[in-house]
Amino acid sequence: MPGFASASLIHSSVGPASTAALTPESASASVSASAAPLQTVGGVVDDIVRIAGLRFLGVLAILLLGLVLAYVAGTLVHRLLVSVGVPEAIEGTAFERTARDFDTSTVEILSWLTRYFVLGISIFATLSFAGVNYADRFWGLVIAILPQLFIAILVLIIGVVVGDKVELLVAERLRAVKLPQVNILPALAKYTVFFLATLVALSQVRVATLALIVLLASYLLGLIVFGVVAFRDLLRSGAAGTYLLFTQPYSIGDEIVVGEVRGVVQEFDMFVTHVESEDTEFVIPNARVLDKGVGRVR
Amino acid sequence: MAALSELLGDLVADVDGLFLFTPSSSHYEQFAETDVPTVVIAPENTVEAETFVELPLQFQNVKDRIRFGVEGAMEQRIVEAGDTIACNVGIFGGDPDSLVRVRVEENMRSGIYDLFANSRADPGVIRDVFEVAIELGKKGQKGEPVGALFIVGDAGKVMNKSRPLSYNPFEKSHVYVGDPIVNVMLKEFSRLDGAFVISDSGKIVSAYRYLEPSAEGVDIPKGLGARHMAGGAITRDTNATAIVLSESDGLVRAFKGGKMILEIDPEAY
Repeated sequence: MPGFASASLIHSSVGPASTAALTPESASASVSASAAPLQTVGGVVDDIVRIAGLRFLGVLAILLLGLVLAYVAGTLVHRLLVSVGVPEAIEGTAFERTARDFDTSTVEILSWLTRYFVLGISIFATLSFAGVNYADRFWGLVIAILPQLFIAILVLIIGVVVGDKVELLVAERLRAVKLPQVNILPALAKYTVFFLATLVALSQVRVATLALIVLLASYLLGLIVFGVVAFRDLLRSGAAGTYLLFTQPYSIGDEIVVGEVRGVVQEFDMFVTHVESEDTEFVIPNARVLDKGVGRVR
Repeated sequence: MAALSELLGDLVADVDGLFLFTPSSSHYEQFAETDVPTVVIAPENTVEAETFVELPLQFQNVKDRIRFGVEGAMEQRIVEAGDTIACNVGIFGGDPDSLVRVRVEENMRSGIYDLFANSRADPGVIRDVFEVAIELGKKGQKGEPVGALFIVGDAGKVMNKSRPLSYNPFEKSHVYVGDPIVNVMLKEFSRLDGAFVISDSGKIVSAYRYLEPSAEGVDIPKGLGARHMAGGAITRDTNATAIVLSESDGLVRAFKGGKMILEIDPEAY
């Protein structure tokens, strides 16, 4: 950092600041020597005009280029998002609806964000070209953090949209289950995604997130442990069912014996086999079928 | 104009219920506050009505549609024999455009509602099979009229009461009716002889099946051929439902318990 600062200081000595430094000197020179060396003064003015003019043109060109680039980048992002079907995919999410209330849309917001980002970069490029470098350290820091801030905002927006979408999808899958308590699952999925997005965004702008990561790890660990404990039988049956579906040792209509159960196979899927005897229909988990073995009655 | 209003008044005079067929939500809300009990009959309960009868097929024949609704309401004990109801139903197009006064009678129980709601197979599966049969009846296979026989539900027993005519093209495959690709497969295979056997959950168990039920005491209309007879008879021996597309007259008929329950013309859909 000190190297950077001194370099910019050297740089500043050739910038407009140098002309400013020169002026009082030339003024004092004009005072001390009444035989005014007009030529030298004129030459300096000329120099100033020449340098400043070039600078000015350059500044203008960079600013203009920045504007055009920003516009093009924003439009490209807009087109890209539309062509990969983002607007349809996020239709109905809370973020999109809020955006709609403000007469805009998520895609619009993203494209404007891109525009501002490119514009910001181009303004900084212009400033550094123009040689404006007061409080260098501060602007250096800002330039360093700007892309990260941009990515953090992007991650947050994507997180919010994806979280909303996940909530919608999970709720849709669970609609057939008419159980009020099941409503907690979509919300849980949504906030998990929000949490992850916040975590990524915060670590992007270098905020201490260790505590949050510990929280996430314990949450995931809890989820996995509970999942394994709760779904142990289903997982075992699913694995057995995969084997049974592939090999089909018995098919619908066969009479089979599993343990004490004997009957005609009516149906089988990934997890269970329906076996019907004279008066009872048994639903046997596939894990049990594989465990007890199956006999086919001829 | 007075006479017209009177006519309408006569139609709705002391009805015990109002049946709305596939109403829009604004239409429903107009009646939600009235003191006449309102029943919504629609493919889906989009208006979140309290009393609702699910309509599995959008019956083009209004008589069938009303009969289905009334039967469903009777089954759910919303109305009973002797009640009089007004049905607001759409005859032309989707929107309700007419009012029909119906007297609920015990003999309206034709079993159409029963066919969908109380069959062994899932109601959705029966609906999907109906749709395949109707589509096949409408277009035929490559322009030629075809017949087809689908036995839905109680597949284990049906398989034990039938034998294969040839190799089963659906062996070791796990395909379910209702999937658009599978429906195309079913139509392609419809030129094979024999019956399709479909399980309770809609899995296609077999094609090319020769049914061997005992045809004793099967009550099907005279003039129907061997396909209908076999389909009707197997439903008497098992808890299955038979859905038959006739090759000669192109009608789709449903059998359950050895009796013909429903007859629809695919061209009308």
